[in-house]
Amino acid sequence: MADQASAVTKKKGLSRQTKRDLVAYSFIAPNFIGFAVFTLIPIVFAFALAFLNWDGSNPITFAGFDNFKQLFSDTFFKAALKNTIIYCVGTVPLTMIASLALAIVLNQKVIGRGVFRTLSFFPYVASLVAVTAVWKMLFHPSKGPINNILYTYFKVPLEELPQWFSGGLVLLSMVLFSVWKYMGYYMVIYLAGLQGISSELYEAASLDGAGTWAKFRYITWPQLQSTTFFVVVMLTINCFKVYDIAIMLAGGGSGELTTSATVLVYYIYQKAFMEWKLGYSSAVAMVLFVLVFVVTMIQFRGQKKYAE
Amino acid sequence: MKKKLMSAVLAMSLVGSLLAGCGSSASTDSAANTDTATTTEKAEEAAPAETTAAEAAEEATDAEPVTLKWAIWDKETTAYWDALAEAYQAANPNVTIEMVDLGSTDYMTVLATELSGDGSDFDVVTIKDVPGYATLVQKNAILPLDDYIAADGVDLDMYAGATDQVTVDGSLYELPFRNDFWVLFYNKDLFDAAGVAYPTNDMTFDEYDALARELTDTTFGSQVYGSHYHTWRSTVQLLAVLDGQHSVLDGEYEFMKPYYEMVLNQEADGVCRKYTDLKTEGLHYSAAFSGGDVAMMNMGSWFISTMMTNLQSGEYDSSLCGNWGIVKYPHADGVEAGSTLGTITGLSVTTACDTPDAAWEFVKWVSGENGAAVMAKTGNFPAVMNSEVQDLIAGLEGFPTDAESKEALNVSNLYLELPYDANCAEINSVLDTYHGSIMSGEMSIDDGIAAMNTEVQAIINK
Repeated sequence: MADQASAVTKKKGLSRQTKRDLVAYSFIAPNFIGFAVFTLIPIVFAFALAFLNWDGSNPITFAGFDNFKQLFSDTFFKAALKNTIIYCVGTVPLTMIASLALAIVLNQKVIGRGVFRTLSFFPYVASLVAVTAVWKMLFHPSKGPINNILYTYFKVPLEELPQWFSGGLVLLSMVLFSVWKYMGYYMVIYLAGLQGISSELYEAASLDGAGTWAKFRYITWPQLQSTTFFVVVMLTINCFKVYDIAIMLAGGGSGELTTSATVLVYYIYQKAFMEWKLGYSSAVAMVLFVLVFVVTMIQFRGQKKYAE
Repeated sequence: MKKKLMSAVLAMSLVGSLLAGCGSSASTDSAANTDTATTTEKAEEAAPAETTAAEAAEEATDAEPVTLKWAIWDKETTAYWDALAEAYQAANPNVTIEMVDLGSTDYMTVLATELSGDGSDFDVVTIKDVPGYATLVQKNAILPLDDYIAADGVDLDMYAGATDQVTVDGSLYELPFRNDFWVLFYNKDLFDAAGVAYPTNDMTFDEYDALARELTDTTFGSQVYGSHYHTWRSTVQLLAVLDGQHSVLDGEYEFMKPYYEMVLNQEADGVCRKYTDLKTEGLHYSAAFSGGDVAMMNMGSWFISTMMTNLQSGEYDSSLCGNWGIVKYPHADGVEAGSTLGTITGLSVTTACDTPDAAWEFVKWVSGENGAAVMAKTGNFPAVMNSEVQDLIAGLEGFPTDAESKEALNVSNLYLELPYDANCAEINSVLDTYHGSIMSGEMSIDDGIAAMNTEVQAIINK
């Protein structure tokens, strides 16, 4: 009896479904193990680390909410948070509008459409390091053509020429740069979205006497809702993660950012690997995580409501 | 709907993974511990380590072969690593020095990561800067050398006070083998063309400022900059600590104001290149000086060997900068000439080292007079400075031949760019940040200094 029972369970344990599952798992395993070891476990550990103090070598001590409390009185954290938010608020809508406008224009039958599409996509393909070098030459405070034009044609006095990479203007430069660099990529996504809209809708609207604006307002925009959601979420995530653009445009040779250009990811790196405060920097990372999570959730909710 | 939510959650966790970058690499150690494969590997590693530890005990008596693993940077472009290792191996045939190049860019960060946890097998590590040294001391990654120093009777006086500034609670964890001090480089051709006498080894800052202004020519097309300040905070802020009464660890920085004023006024009058321009271009100081339009530049003595090498190889145009010299740093009123800033490069023995005695012998040799002679022959400045070493360096081909330049190698007081402090990495980054703010005009000098005071005091009083 007992043998029979175990035989049954054995058989049960290796049922066809289980076998199938095992095969499936074995295919997933190589990738998942890598993901777990290098991503999942570290993420979980980073969450824990935010409540601990650790320098990477000495024993870990419990910190409770101390790391988070410290954030409120940290000038550099506040500056980094403020800059990151300003950068996102500037970049996300501008990139979205620019890429949508480009997509709509280049979706029409204009001569040389392919060339213009390629041209708009080019900044995205070009190496960030190379194009920042070009931007730095263009916006060079004393030798750049932009400031030269301002000086020669707009009679801006020499001492009042804008310093594009320091002070209040550096965030503006960063926003302009990323709009220019990334609009081509999102344009492609919007183009795909536009091509998915049935031309019958536009024909019907034309018959009803709808103008260009009405077509956009009542057909294009609602039909692009899910594309827009994707674009905005990706943009938001990428904006909060900004680091390379800040370092390349404002970091100079030594890659140090002043309080007017510092961003959260830079601050996390600085705290973690320059000062070895892994707990504290994890706390900053948590703030960043919560920010992105909340913003994305709001958009997610909004989109769902709209769809209904 | 549920599927959608699930995918959203998964997307969020991916976002998290991107954001949690800092935590992740730090935690790989603990993550790896859960991995059984790694544990067995570690166990295998540990076994031979024990045996070598046992061997090490015997080594003190007879000359059994020892291999020392040494962390360095830029092996290909730096002449002295090989020279030191070869000379030491020649003198101690039983020792093999195995060098590991960690690259110079993030050397101390990489090293600190390597020495984190217990997987490290470095015996001797090179210490590139003081914040990195502080990190390693706090991580218990390097050994205090006091017992060795006392037992072997090493005379710390030969380091001209540098070791006092990196002593941690009465213990010393490194011995310097290289010491770079700051001097004033000048382009003799520009002085000749302007008909102005060369700078001297005894100048006050006012005299220096006047001299820089005298040489400046703002005519478009034939500009001459009287002075040049690289973007590092050392080039401006640290002029202020040469009076010997102030330190960058003070938490009160009003004493820096006159120097910021001097440099910013020079900038406004076109005497030196603008900080924001330099920052935007990323112009290297060597390019600035070798371009032939900079009359004077304050820089570390490492640039001496750069100048000599690059002029000989023809990389620098000798018609632009071939006629150069050095003098001592300018000094504040009433302060002895020859007070200058220094940066030491040291050697430490790791706590993970299985043969600390052999490692110490190597450290002692390299940072002592034997190592100094090797260093000087490669045109670099050893931490042990004596007249012999000075003669060696001044006698190298390409070194300026005037007597003043040789005399400039005499240092009377050496102040480290950053003395040791438990918080020096944090203080350093605060000072760097506000140096940038002041120099780029984001903040007035007063506001910048006030911000330094507040932030550094907050660190000190924590």
